[in-house]
Amino acid sequence: MAEKLKQTVEPVIEVQDICKTYFMPGGMSQSVLKHVSFDVVPGEFVAIMGHSGSGKSTLMNILGCLDRPTSGVYKLAGKAVSDKTDAELANIRGQEIGFVFQNFNLLMKRTIADNVSLPLIYQGVGEAERYERAVRMLHKVQLNGYEDRLPTQISGGMQQRVAIARALINNPKIIFADEPTGNLDSKTSDEIMDLFTDLNKQGITIVLVTHEDDVADYAKRMIKIGDGQKIYDGLRTEYQKDEE
Amino acid sequence: MIGQILREAWISITAYKMRTFLTMLGIMIGVAAVVLMVAAGQTVQNEITKTFDSMGTNLIIIGPGETVSGGVRGGRGRPSVSFDDVESLRSLKDIETASYIVNAAVQAVYGSNNYGVNVYGTTPEYLTVGNWEIEDGIMFSERDLKSGRPYVVIGQTIVDELFGLQNPIGKTIRLKGQPFTVIGTLREKGDGLMGDDQDNIILTPATTLRQRLRSSPRPNYSNVAFVKVTSEDRMESVANRIEYQLRARHRLKEGTDNDFTVRLMTEMVEKVRSVGLILSLLLAAIASISLIVGSIGIMNMMLVSVTERTREIGTRKALGAPNKWIMFQFLAESILISFIGSFVGMFLGVILSQIGGYYFGREVPISVWSVIISVSVAVIVGIVSGLMPAFKAMKLDPIEALRFQ
Ligand SMILES: Nc1ncnc2c1ncn2[C@@H]1O[C@H](COP(=O)(O)OP(=O)(O)O)[C@@H](O)[C@H]1O
Ligand SMILES: [Mg+2]
Repeated sequence: MAEKLKQTVEPVIEVQDICKTYFMPGGMSQSVLKHVSFDVVPGEFVAIMGHSGSGKSTLMNILGCLDRPTSGVYKLAGKAVSDKTDAELANIRGQEIGFVFQNFNLLMKRTIADNVSLPLIYQGVGEAERYERAVRMLHKVQLNGYEDRLPTQISGGMQQRVAIARALINNPKIIFADEPTGNLDSKTSDEIMDLFTDLNKQGITIVLVTHEDDVADYAKRMIKIGDGQKIYDGLRTEYQKDEE
Repeated sequence: MIGQILREAWISITAYKMRTFLTMLGIMIGVAAVVLMVAAGQTVQNEITKTFDSMGTNLIIIGPGETVSGGVRGGRGRPSVSFDDVESLRSLKDIETASYIVNAAVQAVYGSNNYGVNVYGTTPEYLTVGNWEIEDGIMFSERDLKSGRPYVVIGQTIVDELFGLQNPIGKTIRLKGQPFTVIGTLREKGDGLMGDDQDNIILTPATTLRQRLRSSPRPNYSNVAFVKVTSEDRMESVANRIEYQLRARHRLKEGTDNDFTVRLMTEMVEKVRSVGLILSLLLAAIASISLIVGSIGIMNMMLVSVTERTREIGTRKALGAPNKWIMFQFLAESILISFIGSFVGMFLGVILSQIGGYYFGREVPISVWSVIISVSVAVIVGIVSGLMPAFKAMKLDPIEALRFQ
């Protein structure tokens, strides 16, 4: 199915032969990603799976423009990322990407509205508009009425919904979520995954990292990383465990 | 953008109120101390100027020679300038007038009141050389001096202490048991340089003092003589003339030392002024050490803050904050702290200096230097102590920062 779509639609993510090697003091080096390639087209819902330490987060950091590959080409929305400056990368992160983290990463001393609208500050959006847009986003994640509370006053599941609202506030092309349910119980996890499914239906591309099978089940497509290499890429429903 | 950075910085520093306040306290105390010390220094300088103005600056002071024993200069020698010596100076060119004093410390008694006082035995010219004015009554005359009449002219402190609200003119006071008639009072001068009471004074003819209050084997020699010069630019030449005249009268051979000293008030003023200036600079320098400590306090707090807020920094960067933005936010935080601290410190210093001035009965100026110092401290300390932490925050790798627990 991915193959078919590719011919008709421009991919939003193009990963071509990416390697990532960490060089450690003392001359040691560790190859964490080895010649990984794949495309993601707009509207896809992709789960990246793999054992702990297999390189999932490293891959996500590159996709999210927080890190650069050691070699290979990464294109986001058709533009190569590797030759951009730090300031340009910050701009891309602020305008085209939404992040959701495992531990939410909310500013605990700031109101929920301030947290949701944080990315807008760096786009030069004024205070009144920031607040108004935060309220709208909170409505989208069913947290209306919470704008002036502090994150410490709400549950973990709600905090993650706040983080999702924050990821959505810039109308990003794509959302990256690194183990977004890792800190949540299974019932709350289901609620969060339902929310992602909903957003995906509205046309937002979602790439999420998980090592839980039932979380991955929400995604249509699955990419499996093993020891830094892509070992499966296809429909989640067609994945057989013994393929490894 | 500056407005948004300042707002974020303000919210951040107010989120940790106690810590921010304690950090500000360091800068506050530092600036308050500097403002206070500058005010103290300026007050001293002003007092010096005021006192010299009240004494008159075109004055030459002639004292006893210095004792020399074994080539080492010691203290004052015995009186060597006679009343006649001083009188002989009056006719010299560019000299307005000259006077001398012999003094005695005694108890002044009137009725049941008594007060310790410095009695100056002098000449009528002392009014001019000492910049005194008669408030009430008259000064004793040349004839009173010749005949040694028991007349006194008293300062305002003596008026207050002995007579209260009574009119002292014509009354008789007792000094060492002897009766003296009050014929005049002196206009108030206020405190002297060392906080001494200039109005605690009684003037009487020098001859009277010698006869009735303090005898001496050399009765016609003065403790100090004063020469008032017509204008300040004549001081040097008059001093030379005085030296020439006195050496001749004392029959000093060429090559021998003077048996008297001639000092110019203008030079003494300069000396005291420069001591006053050095003193105030020293005070300010010592006070600024507390500023340095305060500034280290800010740097320390900001470094702790950057470490503590590593995750926040990582999050902000992941959400699109450019490195510069992060740097300016932390810089703005330290500048805000130092600005508020400096301004509160400035007001504290000004208020404390006014309270101190009120307490010590001195007029303390509010100096533009307080404002200049405070503003420059605010900017310099804020930038200097914020720069390193801000760079540290800017350099943080977002991936590492997000992994930070
Ligand atoms: N900055 C780094 N320096 C050295 N090694 C690293 C660094 N970041 C990650 N690694 C290593 O890379 C491997 C993959 O890490 P990661 O991408 O976090 O795995 P995952 O998210 O799949 O658990 C791990 O062995 C980890 O120790
Ligand atoms: Mg991981």
